[in-house]
Amino acid sequence: MGRNRILIVDDELIIRESLAGWLERDGHEVQTAKSGEQCLEMLKDTRFDILLVDIKMEGISGLEVLKKVKENDPDLAVVMITAYGSISTAIEAMKNGASDYLLKPFDPNELGVLIDRITESRAQALENLYLKEQYKESTRFESMIGQSEAMRQVFELIKDVAPMNSTVLITGQTGTGKGLAAKAIHTNSPRSQGPFVMVNCGAIPEHLMESELFGHQRGAFTDAKETKRGRLELAHGGTLFLDEIGEIGMRMQIDLLRVLEDRVFYRVGGTQPIEADFRVIAATNRDLTAAIAQGAFREDLFYRLNVISFKMPALCERKEDIPLLAEHFLRRFAQETNKFIDQISREAMDEMMLYEWPGNVRELENAIERAVVVGKGRKILPEHLPILRREGPAAPANVTLKEVERAHILRILRQNAWNITRSSQILGIDRSTLYSKIKSYHIDRAS
Amino acid sequence: MSGSGEHSIVLSPVGDVDGVIFKPIRREIHRIFGYRTRVIPLLDDVGFALDTSRHQYHSTPILNELARLAPSSALKVLGLTTVDLFIPILTYVYGEAQLAGRACILSTHRLQDGLPATGTQKAFLSRVVKEAIHELGHTFDLRHCRDHRCLMSYCRSEKDVDHKSGELCRYCRVLLEDAMKRQDRNPATSQPVFGSS
Repeated sequence: MGRNRILIVDDELIIRESLAGWLERDGHEVQTAKSGEQCLEMLKDTRFDILLVDIKMEGISGLEVLKKVKENDPDLAVVMITAYGSISTAIEAMKNGASDYLLKPFDPNELGVLIDRITESRAQALENLYLKEQYKESTRFESMIGQSEAMRQVFELIKDVAPMNSTVLITGQTGTGKGLAAKAIHTNSPRSQGPFVMVNCGAIPEHLMESELFGHQRGAFTDAKETKRGRLELAHGGTLFLDEIGEIGMRMQIDLLRVLEDRVFYRVGGTQPIEADFRVIAATNRDLTAAIAQGAFREDLFYRLNVISFKMPALCERKEDIPLLAEHFLRRFAQETNKFIDQISREAMDEMMLYEWPGNVRELENAIERAVVVGKGRKILPEHLPILRREGPAAPANVTLKEVERAHILRILRQNAWNITRSSQILGIDRSTLYSKIKSYHIDRAS
Repeated sequence: MSGSGEHSIVLSPVGDVDGVIFKPIRREIHRIFGYRTRVIPLLDDVGFALDTSRHQYHSTPILNELARLAPSSALKVLGLTTVDLFIPILTYVYGEAQLAGRACILSTHRLQDGLPATGTQKAFLSRVVKEAIHELGHTFDLRHCRDHRCLMSYCRSEKDVDHKSGELCRYCRVLLEDAMKRQDRNPATSQPVFGSS
């Protein structure tokens, strides 16, 4: 069996030295602590594989050590040592996450067998973790992460459209990863060796957009001190990604339409026609058909862009991806900030699952980044995610108490996917009362 | 290495002990620690340490008694017994010592297990001597040594005892010299309990 780093925690020197001597004989690296306090101090600096902890100690007891250790490192194997008469305490320890317990007196050979068994199960756990990681890899496509049916369909679609040269229109709410999808199409296309040039149409003022897209000749306008190539020219041989296309002005829509039709354009102030070979991918969070109806978006440009289109699902439509995404962001930000945070508490994850994420994946990413920055321990806790706890808008002053109650009940029901038991628990009423209120307020799923 | 001339180490048979073991132990104590030795029986009956459910003797109270009864001129006292010793956490121990203290005890009970068919007595005495020096080493503040050939290495079985040499490794020799100098300066050192197989 493998060599382990073992910490023996006991207030009796005789026990520490006897067990240390025995385990060192098996090739393990052994250190000792004479109290729970010393053990917790040592754990701050040193990582151990197995802890042997006497339950009954002066100061911090073995059970308290176990609880504190498990809070910070659930994977650390803890074996409790207890006297024959205190088996109930040992069982309590097992409930609190101890790997096993040893009853005094014991034949140290038993200890050897126990250590071997723990080593074996740790190896198994590591293998499972590796397999889990491999599975996670299979849930990624380029930089996109998801195992939901909705995301798997997106991955398939991207694989299908990437080899083609057709224009693609990606729709979906802000923060759903439209830019990542566009990049994935480019990366999987024959143009992957060429440039991927992004234009955020919503971020560039309209008067600068023409020069930004088409470039300008020196002296074309007051500030044009040098000839500058535009993004279209820069995208030659690659992909031009027009993000937030719905924000583009009418004049520019006309210019763009012309370029998309014949792929020839002029720099601002230029007389020489420029040909560029690029594929166009556009994205928007706006409903372009509604914009067309309002006269804010050109129908001909829409049809030119909407050759192949797909919608990125909102995060609330693929909540099963939240744990995967959250863990991915946690790993990334923990690495970036060099912090030892590698877990999300069950309560924090529950809150994340209940939240609607109007800002989608980007909001989740920001929430995890913030939690990593403010977190002190090894685990993200609900209090590190205050964004999920923000209050809804205050009710207008002229609503009745009944209206407020109806709205609150409806909100809780929606947050809990109409789970009556859970909703009634949160509301602090029993199920039958909740049913009668649903009936009296005429609340239904369509409300 | 030689100890102070004023002090001696007392060997104390506890119960019925075969006198043949004293000579080789006394010779090795003098060779390694440099002290004279005396044989003084201090305890006849160790019934007070008997655990009737285990049919074994708890070594710690015996040690305490030996330390209490030892004459003031005794620098250390080594109890020798044939009864089976234990400490509560373990099923048995070969011996126990007070780390940097005054008393230690060795049981020959388990050292008789698995002796070779020929040269039985020689092999047995070799084990007894090694473990006696080992326990005395603890009273000079020596801890278990990772070198499996060193006298201060922890032994889990008679095989381990047979395997280790009759010498201290060079590190333990230096540590022993340091401890003996401290001992000469201040003979009444503290006595935390320490045990070993």
